[in-house]
Amino acid sequence: MQESRLIAMKRRLTVKWEDFVLALRLLERAQIWIAILLLPLAIFMLLPLVYLFNHAFKPLHELFLFPPTFIVREPTTGNFVELLALSESTIVPVSRYIFNSIVVTFLSTIAMVVTGAMCAYPLSKHPFPGSKIVLGLIMLALLFATEAVAIPRFIVIQSLGIMNTYLGHVLPLVALPVGVFLLKQFMDQIPNDLMEAAKIDGAREFTIFMRIVIPLVNPAIATISILAFQSAWGNTETSTLFMQEDAMKTLPFYMSTLTSGLANSVARQGAAAAGALIMFIPPLVVFIVSQRKVITTMAHSGIK
Amino acid sequence: MSRICFHHVHKRYGKFKEYAVKDFNLEVEDREFLVFVGSSGCGKSTTLRMLAGLEDISEGEIYIGDTIVNEMPPKDRDISMVFQNYALYPNMSVYDNIAFGLQMRKLPKHEIDLSVKRAARVLEIENFLDRKPRELSGGQRQRVALGRAIVRTPQAFLMDEPLSNLDAKLRVQMRSEIISLHKKIGVTTIYVTHDQIEAMTMGDRIVVMEKGIVQQVDTPEKVYNQPVNLFVANFIGNPPMNFVHGRLEEHGGGLEFHTNRFALKLTEKQAYTLRRLNLVDKGIIFGVRPENISFEQIMLEASPHSTINGTMELSEFVGSDRYYHMNIGMEKNLVARAHPRYHFDDGMKASVAVDMNKTLFFHKDTGILLTE
Ligand SMILES: Nc1ncnc2c1ncn2[C@@H]1O[C@H](COP(=O)(O)OP(=O)(O)OP(=O)(O)O)[C@@H](O)[C@H]1O
Ligand SMILES: [Mg+2]
Repeated sequence: MQESRLIAMKRRLTVKWEDFVLALRLLERAQIWIAILLLPLAIFMLLPLVYLFNHAFKPLHELFLFPPTFIVREPTTGNFVELLALSESTIVPVSRYIFNSIVVTFLSTIAMVVTGAMCAYPLSKHPFPGSKIVLGLIMLALLFATEAVAIPRFIVIQSLGIMNTYLGHVLPLVALPVGVFLLKQFMDQIPNDLMEAAKIDGAREFTIFMRIVIPLVNPAIATISILAFQSAWGNTETSTLFMQEDAMKTLPFYMSTLTSGLANSVARQGAAAAGALIMFIPPLVVFIVSQRKVITTMAHSGIK
Repeated sequence: MSRICFHHVHKRYGKFKEYAVKDFNLEVEDREFLVFVGSSGCGKSTTLRMLAGLEDISEGEIYIGDTIVNEMPPKDRDISMVFQNYALYPNMSVYDNIAFGLQMRKLPKHEIDLSVKRAARVLEIENFLDRKPRELSGGQRQRVALGRAIVRTPQAFLMDEPLSNLDAKLRVQMRSEIISLHKKIGVTTIYVTHDQIEAMTMGDRIVVMEKGIVQQVDTPEKVYNQPVNLFVANFIGNPPMNFVHGRLEEHGGGLEFHTNRFALKLTEKQAYTLRRLNLVDKGIIFGVRPENISFEQIMLEASPHSTINGTMELSEFVGSDRYYHMNIGMEKNLVARAHPRYHFDDGMKASVAVDMNKTLFFHKDTGILLTE
């Protein structure tokens, strides 16, 4: 009985208080201890978010308090007003940055997911001589920080002649090793029989990929979409390195110019705090929308 | 619908030295229901998968109709296959699972709809068409897998142990349903199983395989009554045939099978064949099925030269029959079938009469059947 209620609860994904109590009762001793140990960690992980939200609403004198406070005492929307005022005085209108960001994020997310899936499929289901080495190299790419490859990338982008184009934004982001790895792990789980059955049913390789493989790795696709979205949305590197024209730069780049770009790091701290919150909203929305699928992914893949 | 022909087909997996299938020759008649049977790992699935195009052929040719299909991709071979674990597409409804093959062949929508509904009606799964495979029971999934195969009218159906995941009762039911389906549709069918009862009851002909080599291809009756060698004799039939090692000796004008415990007088026909093969005074293996051993008094009196004495060691009651395991002083017990009205306690002494007309003799070294 209790078990079935638990299952029903998982389906709803909204937790009522009595559900919580029930879950607690079903927990074993050891699990309770683990929960107690993990709770502070969870709170600790939450702190930056709390800080982010509060910071955006702090009046100027609170922003520079030392030691800094987490919770805002006199909340104000002044920072947002300041940000708005600032954005009206730029040479390139902020709407242009926003537009660039949306285009770049949209294109790169799609590119990352599509190439990730198309790369993972042969690695998982059609191993060829040397496919293990290829996978190893892709994994190896995870080890390099973007800074380490900035110069080679610059040279590549320059020789391709795609500086100051959207392609220059998208191309450096397309390869997403984590995505390839995750999708491959998921595809490994698909029984070969399914694909053989489809072959006998008369399906071509591409049909098998689109109608059987992709639907079955849907949760993984959702997960890497979020990862891709985040990395594309927050990316300033391509704007800094490959875009000399201001009109081609993106929103996160603009936000970063509010403070660190200037010698005086005290000015515009309020606007920067408001900007940080605004930048954070879209990934949060995307995550909340697709979180259910993502959580099943993580449960399956053992990522968390 | 057409004939299928295997011509010296060999299969070797990648770097492995051993052949998974060795010199496989077979002609499958049009509309035939052929069963591959053999112990686990004997190459049944491999052979089927080569025919389906899922596995490369190392040597030899496979013909479907008059065309060599060695290099033909599966989708062009026009066959359908039922997999052991059904291999239903989990993301699609039952309807789409069945319709998929037709959609791939670009049939008009209304035709697909008609065909799917017809197949569903035949298999009595009309009510589940909207469900996903995971919302079905094992037997229902099995039907969907069958539906996916019969919705098209291919050159041949290939079934790889389709019933092995079902419970005993459902298996028997599905067995007869598949047979009647075959009668109705009449498409050439190759059916793989490791269950010899399934093979006996379903097949027009049976292919017995062992270690990648075909042992015998014949009707169930022939395979049961005239197994070509010890392997087939042992594999087909439950409980299996009894085998006794002994010698042939001339005795009082007749030929006798001798062990150090008992002697059995051969029939004229057996004696004639074995004498011609120069096997007198040589070692030989004698085989008799449990049902050809009798406890009846009349039989014992009628054939005093073919009785064996022994001690009861164990009895198995299976409802219509009782099987007795008798210690006859050889390394293995003799298993005999008796009517349940006979009752012997363990340890009792008893005599049995062997129906010599039904007994077989095998070569001591090669295991080949010597008599008919
Ligand atoms: N992919 C493979 N790679 C290497 N060897 C294989 C492969 N598949 C099968 N074999 C080998 O080929 C032989 C025949 O296998 P096969 O699957 O045809 O047996 P089977 O008769 O279908 O057995 P079962 O009744 O257990 O399904 C076995 O010895 C097996 O180990
Ligand atoms: Mg098999």
